[in-house]
Amino acid sequence: MTVRSLVTERHGNTRDRAERRLAGFMTAPSLILMALVAAVPIGYAIWLSLNQYSLLQVGLSRFVGLGNYVDALAGPDWWRAFGQTFLFAGTSVALEMVLGTGMAMLLNLTFRGRALLRTVVLVPYAIITVVSAITWQTMFDPTTGFVPQILAALHLPGAGVVWLGEQGYAMAVIVMADVWKTTPFAALIILAGLQSISQETYEAAELDGASRWKTFAHVTLPLLRPAIVLAAIFRTLDALRIFDLPFVLTHGANGTQSMSMLAYTQLNENRLVGQGSALSILTFITVMVVSAVYIRFGGGNIRDIAREDRS
Amino acid sequence: MSTLTAERASTHGAESLGTRKSRRSTTSLHPLVWVFAVVVMGFSLLPFYWLVSTSLKKGASLGQGELFPSQPTLDNYLSVFGNSDFLLAMRNSVIIAVVTTIIALVFAAFAAYALARLKMRRKALILTLILSVTTFPAIAIAAPLFAIWREIGLYDTLVGLIIPKLTFALPLAIYTLTSFFRDIPRELEESAYVDGATPFQAFSRVILPLAIPGLATTAILVFISVWNEFLLAVTLTSSPAARPVPVAIAFFNGMSEFDVPLGRISAASVIVTIPLIILVLICQKRIVAGMTAGAVKG
Amino acid sequence: MRGRTVTGIVAAAGAIGLALSGCGSSTPPSAGPSAPVVDPASAKGASGSLSICGGRDSVGLYKGAVDAFMKANPGISAKYTVLGATTDESRTQAIQRLQAKSSECDMYLTDVTWTPEFASQGWLQDMTKVTDAVKDTLIPSTVATTQYKGKSWATPFYTNAGLIYYAKDKVAKPETWQQLYAEAAKSPDNGLVYQGKQYEGLTVNFLELLYSAGGNVIDDQGNIKIDSPETRKVLDFMAQGIKNGSADRAVLTYEENASRLAYESGKFGYERNWPNVYGQLNATPLKGTFGVAPLPSFDGNSNGSGVLGGWNLAISAYASNPAAAVAFVNFESTPEWQKHVAMDYSQAPAGEAAYSDPGVLDKMPFAKELLISVKGAKPRPVSPVYSQISAAINKNVYAVLSGTSNTEDAVKNMADQIKTAQASF
Repeated sequence: MTVRSLVTERHGNTRDRAERRLAGFMTAPSLILMALVAAVPIGYAIWLSLNQYSLLQVGLSRFVGLGNYVDALAGPDWWRAFGQTFLFAGTSVALEMVLGTGMAMLLNLTFRGRALLRTVVLVPYAIITVVSAITWQTMFDPTTGFVPQILAALHLPGAGVVWLGEQGYAMAVIVMADVWKTTPFAALIILAGLQSISQETYEAAELDGASRWKTFAHVTLPLLRPAIVLAAIFRTLDALRIFDLPFVLTHGANGTQSMSMLAYTQLNENRLVGQGSALSILTFITVMVVSAVYIRFGGGNIRDIAREDRS
Repeated sequence: MSTLTAERASTHGAESLGTRKSRRSTTSLHPLVWVFAVVVMGFSLLPFYWLVSTSLKKGASLGQGELFPSQPTLDNYLSVFGNSDFLLAMRNSVIIAVVTTIIALVFAAFAAYALARLKMRRKALILTLILSVTTFPAIAIAAPLFAIWREIGLYDTLVGLIIPKLTFALPLAIYTLTSFFRDIPRELEESAYVDGATPFQAFSRVILPLAIPGLATTAILVFISVWNEFLLAVTLTSSPAARPVPVAIAFFNGMSEFDVPLGRISAASVIVTIPLIILVLICQKRIVAGMTAGAVKG
Repeated sequence: MRGRTVTGIVAAAGAIGLALSGCGSSTPPSAGPSAPVVDPASAKGASGSLSICGGRDSVGLYKGAVDAFMKANPGISAKYTVLGATTDESRTQAIQRLQAKSSECDMYLTDVTWTPEFASQGWLQDMTKVTDAVKDTLIPSTVATTQYKGKSWATPFYTNAGLIYYAKDKVAKPETWQQLYAEAAKSPDNGLVYQGKQYEGLTVNFLELLYSAGGNVIDDQGNIKIDSPETRKVLDFMAQGIKNGSADRAVLTYEENASRLAYESGKFGYERNWPNVYGQLNATPLKGTFGVAPLPSFDGNSNGSGVLGGWNLAISAYASNPAAAVAFVNFESTPEWQKHVAMDYSQAPAGEAAYSDPGVLDKMPFAKELLISVKGAKPRPVSPVYSQISAAINKNVYAVLSGTSNTEDAVKNMADQIKTAQASF
């Protein structure tokens, strides 16, 4: 070890330590707030999931450890909800990513009225979730909604079907309602990602003789990856925890019961607090695992940052 | 930070703005793009149009399923505006959403910079913890939060709503801003360091101005999510003085315990969308204001 | 380093949370049999503030009652708080307060199905003496909804029972369900709408037919009676009705509001709904074209039997002013006030005398039919795990109606799931 490298090391260490200190101060407000507000309720919910509370006798409870989890995983209800939720989330998020990218590309174009289009496109996202669920319900109402009437008049597929009362069709309505409402969210994030691609990049590709499609596939998309992964993570988080739409539209019938609905039923309707908390935590674990998979295989900025620990 | 660097940044900014012709000028747009644009607008607007159309109907016409109400009436809007509880709820929602968004932006910008740029241990763990806060099902924590808030006297207050909403909005804000900050090229900060700036100065004087599109995007997302949040709002309030708009709309009285006042709910929802539209109109300019200097990627 | 400190804080907070929650299990409130007994005499000289909590005050009845009560009792200042937008929300909010032992509410407006659950958790005071003092003027079926384990835990406020609305120019007044379905099948315009979505409303609709057919879910001792020929008959009947068009398949997506709107479109002949629909129907072009009938019998065997809705008044175990609560109960159960419930607010009173009052008959011409429905109604399964039983019923009935399950499997599933529910810890 030379004197020079020793000096650089010490210099570097002081700088590093200052940086770490600053990093600590900058993350502290967020982390402390989250610890103060979220930690106790989350800890309590975990504790609840390890017990069972008597419905028939007052104040009686027993510690069952992982018993609630075993019961949930052993029965068919959880897995049915699991499958149905993943079917919904997979379809919904895939559609939202494709449509969202398309929308973002559209909004990126310069033309008159761009501001208006941007605002119009965001309107569905701004509507309260329960109200949007009620709107879609009345849209598809067999007697009082306009969609069945239009389908029947134009002899389109799905005419004469009670959409919310049939397997498959009900799921289709829920997917449509979710895509309608949240594609703007994805479009917004992807649009901001698009904005960071400079004109020179496109010009260079054009100079290289790339067609528009090739430019999109080999230049734009890879550069959009962090934005798409970010949008996908949060959309998937929300899609896997979907509650309002199936609750209002079908109350979980016809193959549309989600994991959150199952947890809600046990927790609030049946007051099986231990079981309901366990189901909530199982949902939570599922979502975290899926997010981890996304980050690991989707790449993007978050993965890069997470990998910094190793260096 | 020396003026030289500032000049360099702004010149590059101006340059990129100058060379920023339309990516594809409107004349060379493929007709399919126009078709797609129309379809997108139609899909976005049709259900909203149905909402507006429902808000103009009253009584029996709600059961007729007409796309164009045969007897449009503004009664629902008049009734909603005359509802003092609803107006109070609008005020509450604006206060809660604005305060939460501002604080969230500040907290998240700090945290995001640390995560994206600074040396820090356990970044993966911290990212995981942050994500888990937003992922944990709200229904499981509603009851404990209710009990705790009652104990400490934050129940049924605006502050009592802002604190948890801020907590659960932070993860989205942090993740979004972290990703955006990461995209900004390091050379800019490094030149700032060369000019003798401290890391914090580099953050506040170089990164933040360049991150305005990311901040604007995050502001919109946080504002809307806080505005529309229902579960915490209904759990932690019990009087019109603290209730935000989604809860107030749910509490609209129908003609009986089973009646759902569709007309008034629709009218209120349309009214409530307006502040959000205004916010987006303001922010959407910032999203596209010229971003970083020179070639960012590629 | 900072990361480690923060991790430490989070872990500590979590540990504190766990510890606190462990400390949370305090001494349980007095269980059912030994709940505090409320003395009717305590109402004399009651004063101070009274807080009543319940669901949405859609027709202004609660505010009206509170105002009238305060006029009659100047020493008491009463206030009504809305807990939730729907019945389920109100229940969740009420339970949250009761579990936190809050004295924010002295009195709760309870849905008729909550009595066994709330009582068995020790959240209510024993109101047997109070209800006994007033029950002579109240319809017995409404009083039955306040009873659990031989005691009365609330006093009826007002009630509700299903009715059949029929288009006079298209169909005949139904005497039996079979007749109703036969008429409805004659033409697509004659169809029946009812609440067939997979929720509590479907349980109510199903039980109305089941009880009329002489069937039952659980008996007074809690034995499961649902695995019976009557259940199979009713399920087949309802499923067949959807298949042959007596009931449009759309009913599988309808709750109360949607079915009302569908009927108001004029495209149907029959509607099963609650009394509140009458006033709204009269505000549409259908005024004067429809009749009101009590729930029909099944097969003409016995009188039609229904299920009671409505709300009771219960006193919280943590009430700070139970005396004033008793005074309110005494006030609202008088025949005089029960008349107002019908005349001014169009709700079904729990007091019998009101139904024959000329003023009431003027406002509610169907009061006689309503009284028949209310008197013939039976309570929904009386059990602290009612919500699980109801879910078992409506899930399986829905499966049969939508064609995803056959009757035999559905009946067996219902019996099994109810057995599991009753075995709840």
